[in-house]
Amino acid sequence: MLLEAHKVSKAFGSFFAVREADLSVDEGEIVGLIGPNGAGKSTFFNCLAGDTVPTEGKIIFAGQDMTHASPEAHARAGVGRTFQVPATFEDMTVLENVMVGAYLRHPHYGDARDLARQTVELTGLRAQTDLPARSLGTPGRKRLEIARVLATAPRLMLLDESLAGLTPTELKEAIGLVRKIHERGITIVIVEHVMEVIMTLARRVLAFNQGHVIASGKPEEVVRDEAVIDAYLGRGRHMRRSRST
Amino acid sequence: MKIPSISPTILLAAALLIYPLVFSGAFYLDIGVTFLLAAISASAWNIVGGYAGQVSVGHAMFFGLGAYAPLLCYTLFQWAPIAGIPFGIMFSIALAVLIGIPTFRLTGHYFSMATIAVAELIRIYFGTWDLVGAAIGLQGPATARGWWDLTFRSELPYYYIFLAVLAVLLYLTFLIERRRFGYYLRAIKAGERAARSLGVPVQQTKIKALVLSAVFTSLAGSLYSVKTGFIDPESGFGILVSVQMVIIAALGGAGKLYGPLVGALILIPLQTATNTWFGGGGTGLTFILYGGIIVLIARYEPGGLFELWERIAPRRWRHKNAS
Amino acid sequence: MLLLQVIVGGLLLGAIYALFSSGLTLIWGMMNFINFAHGEFVMLGMYVSLLVVVWLGGGPAAFGFAAAFSLFVLGVFVYLSLIRYVLRGPMLSQILSTFGLALLLRYTAFWIFSANFVSLPQTSLSGTLNVGGVLMPVPQLVAGVIAILLTIGLHLMLTRTKVGSQLLAVSEDRGAAMLMGIRPDRMQALAWGLSAGAAGIAGALMAIAYPWSPSVGETFGLTAFVVVALGGFGSVPGALLAGLIIGLIQALSAFWFGPIYKDIIVYALFVALLWLRPQGLMGKA
Repeated sequence: MLLEAHKVSKAFGSFFAVREADLSVDEGEIVGLIGPNGAGKSTFFNCLAGDTVPTEGKIIFAGQDMTHASPEAHARAGVGRTFQVPATFEDMTVLENVMVGAYLRHPHYGDARDLARQTVELTGLRAQTDLPARSLGTPGRKRLEIARVLATAPRLMLLDESLAGLTPTELKEAIGLVRKIHERGITIVIVEHVMEVIMTLARRVLAFNQGHVIASGKPEEVVRDEAVIDAYLGRGRHMRRSRST
Repeated sequence: MKIPSISPTILLAAALLIYPLVFSGAFYLDIGVTFLLAAISASAWNIVGGYAGQVSVGHAMFFGLGAYAPLLCYTLFQWAPIAGIPFGIMFSIALAVLIGIPTFRLTGHYFSMATIAVAELIRIYFGTWDLVGAAIGLQGPATARGWWDLTFRSELPYYYIFLAVLAVLLYLTFLIERRRFGYYLRAIKAGERAARSLGVPVQQTKIKALVLSAVFTSLAGSLYSVKTGFIDPESGFGILVSVQMVIIAALGGAGKLYGPLVGALILIPLQTATNTWFGGGGTGLTFILYGGIIVLIARYEPGGLFELWERIAPRRWRHKNAS
Repeated sequence: MLLLQVIVGGLLLGAIYALFSSGLTLIWGMMNFINFAHGEFVMLGMYVSLLVVVWLGGGPAAFGFAAAFSLFVLGVFVYLSLIRYVLRGPMLSQILSTFGLALLLRYTAFWIFSANFVSLPQTSLSGTLNVGGVLMPVPQLVAGVIAILLTIGLHLMLTRTKVGSQLLAVSEDRGAAMLMGIRPDRMQALAWGLSAGAAGIAGALMAIAYPWSPSVGETFGLTAFVVVALGGFGSVPGALLAGLIIGLIQALSAFWFGPIYKDIIVYALFVALLWLRPQGLMGKA
């Protein structure tokens, strides 16, 4: 078990963004997280990545308790993540962006640069190597984020809607990229709205709604689960009220 | 026939080296020395303010400590002023850590507010503290007891000493730019949250940057008081000192190696001109001018003249200098 | 008895600190932006009051309104012409923008009014009240009480009126506010007007009771930082409480250690606050 999240809850005041969410991911898996907007997926991600400290629960990565660990500690331990709204270093070039990632495991300029070049090549950004990140469009930025985090040599990658808003061609390339990354032995947890991505990539899927995990299993099953459909169509609230807890 | 291009750095170095020989009057020499000192201070500020994006508006606190230390050692123990320089540096480092540790874990505003508050605190306190001369300040040796007192009749030796310090600082900054520390600084400025997620030790890096900046700012202060032979709370810790560092770096290009140099090149002659034209009232008008310039930079060109140049310059030139 | 007087005096001054600091914390809470020129807004309010008295012979009500109104307009103007552009930019330009503005305002005031301390000519508010042995100068008393009322008023406006809730909505969640038909840009401009207006009227109140020069802007600005940090991010009630506390601490320090320490203690308190409780009184850890 590479990653385990036990009954993770995150409250902002009295509002629970995440409520007793469980997740376990084996090394080498690709796990998908789906759910409507505001369901708590990103907050859960932030807990997994150390960006937010859960109010309750435990998160264990590679046998270490990471519940209160900082984002930096997560990165060092091998947990990498992308951001829902790309947070690339706008004024730095594509290569420099990736180098920041590379520097984690390679403190020397030469090594970091070489690794960064390779990673830029791998992620198909070679043409933009020396261009500032701000000159990329959103799909380019998302890809840059992937390249950047890849350079940190993670064991687990948390992709937050990294494949959203792409044209069909771009989507195919992106899915191919995720596959390539997976083939290198990196475990992936991916939050997505785009069903094609989930169905083709994920072996297992968890569905979130209003902070809970409401279903989990194989993609085909989860997608047909009644509770999940209700959640997406907005009847979720009605269901909760009738099953008052 | 291809004309070999001369590195701008070499040209710059040559120009600075030759300057006092070409412009040899005391007036020009004084401007030159003032320019170098301003360039040193602003380049020191640039490390934490320009590269790392942590805007200190009270950097005078380090300058002042560096300025007081040599003259205090002279006044109290009759040491050669330069012997006091390490003390100034030590106190500046301590202050940097005192301010950096609590504020760097909070949003950027806290750091900026803290820098003003502490600089003011020290300025007011020194104005009442008899040990350091209170409002009157301290003086250095009137006549040299030996070469080590560094009281020269001409400003020429100072010019070359300051130039040497500037060269060291710029070289250090150049090294930083190329290495991990520099990349981490820029990442912090560009996006702290993302930087953290990539393993950048943000807190530590910021503190290192502040300490490094404090060391050189302190050194600049020491050079100033050794040369001038005088320091008081206003000239050491006053807001003009802080503002000048910020505006010079920001105007030229915060976060760029030669940004502060460019800024100083423009502002020091400008300041000298306004002071000459308006006499005593000059300082007030200088501030109004500075205030206006700072607002304009903030509003239209935060990257300073360097960024403006990069937008206008021919792409060929830019490409040659990439990565 | 003297101690009690010192305490009351401190609280009354602290009330004015609370008023103008509320303006600062409003902006901070709403846009995550610190106005480094806020102290200068107070200073300008004081000079507007002086001009109204000297040129127009106006009384406290006149210059009070004049200060509030003119600074309101200035605040909106500053937002529309400068702030809303730098909000989208890097931190450096955000901080430089109002820092530069502070210099501009402060030294223009020095140039126009010189560095001499001035005070308002005797107004209808004069004399001293004797309450149970404690001597309270009427100007200070009136200024302090009005300041507290206005601060509470501001808080009520923010929490009980429609406009107030719109302002708060924008600071909570811009996107959601837009979906509800609220225009963030307008709300932010309004907030700047309110913030500056609060500073302006605080200046007028200050002018009733204390002498000043253009240099007070810097001191007030720093005081506002400390009050706001102590009171907690975005909290007007916090600013009220913190303002009173700071006023009190200042008065006691001056009384026990000497007038020099009036400001030193406040700045030192700031540093201590950063180490020990950066979220302030009302903030969450």
